[in-house]
Amino acid sequence: MSLKDVLMPFTAWGNLFKTPVTIKDSRNVEAAPRYRGFHMNDADKCIGCGTCEEICQNAAIDLVEVAGYEAKDGDSGLRPMIDYGRCCWCALCVDVCTTQSLRLTNEYKWISSDPEDFRFVPGVDEKHWNNRTEGYTKMDGYDLYSTQRVEMGELHAEERDKSFVEMIKGYSLEQAQKEADRCVECGICIATCPAHMGIPRYIEAVRHGDMEEGLRILYETNPLPEICGRICTHKCETVCSLNHKGDALSIRWLKRYIADQVPAERYKEILGTDKIVKNGKKVAIVGAGPAGLSAAHYLSLMGYQVKVYEVQEAPGGMTRYGIPEYRLPYDMIDKDIDYIKSLGAEFQFGTRVGVDVPLETLEKEYDAVFAATGLHLGRSTRVPGSDHKRVYQAIDLLRDVSYGKEIDLSEKIVVVGGGNVAMDITRTIARLQNKKYGKVGVTATCLEAEGSMPADDEEVIEAREENATIDPGWGPQEIIVENGEIKGLRVAKCLRIFDDEGRFNPTMDMENQKVFEAEMIVESIGQGMDISYTDNIKEKLTFGPRGRIQVSPDFQSDIPWLFVGGDIIEGPDVIHGIANGHKAAKGIDKFLKGK
Amino acid sequence: MFTFNEDRSLFPRHDEKGKPIVDVESGQFTKIWQGPIHPGMTGNMSLELTIQGDEIMDCVTHVGYLHRGFEKLMERRRFIQCFPICVRVAVPEPDFNEYCLASTIEELSGIEVPEAANWMRTLLLEMSRLQSYLAQMGGQGSSFGLGLIGQWTIWARDLVLDRFEEITGGRIYHMHMPPGGVRSLLPAGFVGRMNETLDEISAVMEEVERVLFHNSVFKKRAIGLGYIDPNWVDEYGITGPNARAAGVAKDVRKDNPYLMYDRLDFDVHLEYESDVFARAKVRYRDILTTIDLIRQILPQVPTKGEFMAEVPNVLHWKIPYGETYKRAECTRGEYGYYTVTDGSGYPRRINVRGPSYTHAVTLMEKMAINLNIADTAGVMSSLHTYPPEVER
Amino acid sequence: MKEIVNRLKEKFPVTAEIYQRDDLTFVTVEKKYGVDAVAYLKEYEGFTHLVLLTAVDWLEEGEFQLTYLLNNPKAKHDIGLRVRIDRETAEMQTAHHLWPAVTTYEQELNEMFGISFPGSPRQGHRFILDEAWQGPPPYRRDFDTKKYSEETYFPRPGRSKIDPSEHMKKKLYPEGM
Repeated sequence: MSLKDVLMPFTAWGNLFKTPVTIKDSRNVEAAPRYRGFHMNDADKCIGCGTCEEICQNAAIDLVEVAGYEAKDGDSGLRPMIDYGRCCWCALCVDVCTTQSLRLTNEYKWISSDPEDFRFVPGVDEKHWNNRTEGYTKMDGYDLYSTQRVEMGELHAEERDKSFVEMIKGYSLEQAQKEADRCVECGICIATCPAHMGIPRYIEAVRHGDMEEGLRILYETNPLPEICGRICTHKCETVCSLNHKGDALSIRWLKRYIADQVPAERYKEILGTDKIVKNGKKVAIVGAGPAGLSAAHYLSLMGYQVKVYEVQEAPGGMTRYGIPEYRLPYDMIDKDIDYIKSLGAEFQFGTRVGVDVPLETLEKEYDAVFAATGLHLGRSTRVPGSDHKRVYQAIDLLRDVSYGKEIDLSEKIVVVGGGNVAMDITRTIARLQNKKYGKVGVTATCLEAEGSMPADDEEVIEAREENATIDPGWGPQEIIVENGEIKGLRVAKCLRIFDDEGRFNPTMDMENQKVFEAEMIVESIGQGMDISYTDNIKEKLTFGPRGRIQVSPDFQSDIPWLFVGGDIIEGPDVIHGIANGHKAAKGIDKFLKGK
Repeated sequence: MFTFNEDRSLFPRHDEKGKPIVDVESGQFTKIWQGPIHPGMTGNMSLELTIQGDEIMDCVTHVGYLHRGFEKLMERRRFIQCFPICVRVAVPEPDFNEYCLASTIEELSGIEVPEAANWMRTLLLEMSRLQSYLAQMGGQGSSFGLGLIGQWTIWARDLVLDRFEEITGGRIYHMHMPPGGVRSLLPAGFVGRMNETLDEISAVMEEVERVLFHNSVFKKRAIGLGYIDPNWVDEYGITGPNARAAGVAKDVRKDNPYLMYDRLDFDVHLEYESDVFARAKVRYRDILTTIDLIRQILPQVPTKGEFMAEVPNVLHWKIPYGETYKRAECTRGEYGYYTVTDGSGYPRRINVRGPSYTHAVTLMEKMAINLNIADTAGVMSSLHTYPPEVER
Repeated sequence: MKEIVNRLKEKFPVTAEIYQRDDLTFVTVEKKYGVDAVAYLKEYEGFTHLVLLTAVDWLEEGEFQLTYLLNNPKAKHDIGLRVRIDRETAEMQTAHHLWPAVTTYEQELNEMFGISFPGSPRQGHRFILDEAWQGPPPYRRDFDTKKYSEETYFPRPGRSKIDPSEHMKKKLYPEGM
């Protein structure tokens, strides 16, 4: 023990002359900008997907109904309520939030004598920190699931623009499982899917590698998975919660993956449809398109004897005669439909109901009739010159291609229209021209401006990759005919399409005109229906807007034995047709059981 | 060096195994319960002491006041959900839990962590070590009545916590190392502020050096107190500064380098007296080393680039069958996680190896014998134990 | 590492070996050789530091796995010695004579997993749990902590759970599909 050890501690007195480090008023200390304090939710941005609830390891979050937010497409209308008796402020809810609406502010002081106060809906309930901008948010570069979809293999533009080989290659098992892994299982998509398919469940089946279970889930609501897995308009993907901060899940490709994996001969065994007990009742279906096929499938399963009347030579409707082979190969259509045939549904082709067989005959011979005849009449632009013989309807040409007929091509062709059908015919023509002339000379034009074309974006992009010219934003004025030959299409710049009341009434800038050179014009501005087979019973039916027959939620018309569905009622697209057919099948079952 | 007092040899009588034979009924002994609010440690733990006069004849450690069953809770949670829980196993030093858990999960699912994340983790672990040592240093002083040390070091620790708050948004539970990487890199201007903080802490440490280590009271009480025989190190599973003060060079950072430690320059400090004073000295030098390490790390932490590996969707993250053990050097010794997975989305078993497990129970019970009851707090704080890691 | 395992194999039948990392190996031996193998590794192979001793409940297989994780401080190697024991009888030889610290591990395993180590000093004495605990060993996997807490404690009233997709179905297409 030295004297130094006795004296040294007294050096602590030196601190007497230093400024104290004590904080005078600790109540007003601002927390760091990243502080994990109280929750704040941008309730308008939030979609109520419930991922925050799912990840919370303390079970502190419940989704609740709140005033002012209703369930709608892409939004459950629910908002998270947080119980601060359980929360540990780990901020995993912030990290996992699909819309990035949830964050933590750097406020940490809150006094209340009522314990119930501490269970609140952030962003909806008025709190004194709601205006704070600082606090914990998810950093860029940090993600708890992949925000990028697994690339789908495609044929290169050079390979595909000469052939009608399917251009989308399909996922491998590894790719499919990686993509399926991205799903957060919120189920927001189910409501938007017209058929309300069990999307999160079949994606889970892909994750588990159980394609048989996946197929069973698909067939609960959709009897055309090969078709839908390729050309569905995938409204589910537009509302996918992952779409908010990254790519939407490839729901359509995953559906296709399941169907592609199961060989057709195993369907009956997997789906348990080896033996169907017939109930002795008969239903006639008019039209072998998606709606008719869907109804035929579900009615057959219920035990009805079903016969489908189809005017064309093969089943599939628009999927076969409207969609080019490179998007939907015919053997895939056959795979879906052969299974429906194997359930006992009969088909009679080349028969036009109302001409070859009157509707009255069907009424007499069957217990109920389901009419799903679709939209097969092309609409004309009716501009001067549109009655020329070298002006075609896209839908007619596509049908001819499907039948393998030779198309009378020209080197320069203009397509009028900006929807998916217009893109289909444009790309089909591009392929045919490439085969015949070794070069592409097709231009598509439409009223809608770039970016607001009704066709899917990828269709437009891919059409351009295949060297077709897409020049949107022009309104056709006249088809120039010289010496009986078409010389071109004169167009004017389209300023707006709808008037102030929202009606279709395009305004053109007549000063700004140009001519697309062409020897042949294809019109693709929409299709109309032909329901002349109902002419004799017209007075008993009610018609809604645009000449559509009015039906009940079961798709029953005012004539009890007549059910109507598909594109002539809703859509037009495949998945609505499938949903209609399924609902109509249930409606028919209800109607016939009640009789 | 510790020597037995002549008078003490009368009692207790020892059995052939060297354990005192204490007959409580004889009326010569008093049984007292020290704890669960105990001056010798952070957290709650009790010592059941049998004393004669003021001398301890027998000691049994009782834990269970902080048992929340974290290991079991983690078996019922997804891998990502374990990460906010595990930090609670060691309140004053939670980052080691985060690191060990994350690295076992990464190893079992074959995830490569980006280098920037490894630098961040190294930095966070060293900052955590610094604040934990500072708290211990204060406790060590206070347990001998030198409350001033605690006032200084706890303030210094608060400065470190301020820096933690800047990076992670939390002061105590940082939750910054999810499996796969870290949640963010450093905020703007952090390096400058951290360097200032280190300057302030260095100044505090100089004062602590004068006032604690050149203090006749502390020296008189701490030198020779709480002797740990170097032979006990393996027997009792002693690690960390407790082993290093007994002259056994044990430091996971050197022995099994993890993260970025093989790229850093530092020494392992040894003392040989193995008493409370020696352990305090080892810790004091470790603090200086840690300050130096943080100064080495700071310029090397990338300011941009990838800091999170691509992980499977955390909502259905499954890990195939496997088991592994990962360790890190915390302020008290070897901290480790033994993780077993079974192919499901949940861990089959997670076992936390906290250094306190042996320090606070078997070792403390042995060291308490023949100790003056007034010294228990000093000895316990020199072992630096946290009861939650005993009971998890 | 490989040589150590080979030498161990000469002495005891090793049923499985996993080389997890360069410095970490797991080996499995039969129950009757368990403690002897641990003692061998400690005395002859320099694995003098007991890192941990714990159990894993393989409920579906009706077995407990005991893991003795040993460290060789000189070679900086770890070896995890695994022993499978029957879950019904749940008994294992004690190893407390090798390290005093094992007493605590065995006491905890006895309490939390219900594995008994005859001869170990503190078997049957409470360690972590409350004296009043009447339930089964809580770390066994068939003890459901959630169920226990739901039965023992009361939930906070007024909480409700709404599933987004069910809610959307109710609101947007109640007729279903």
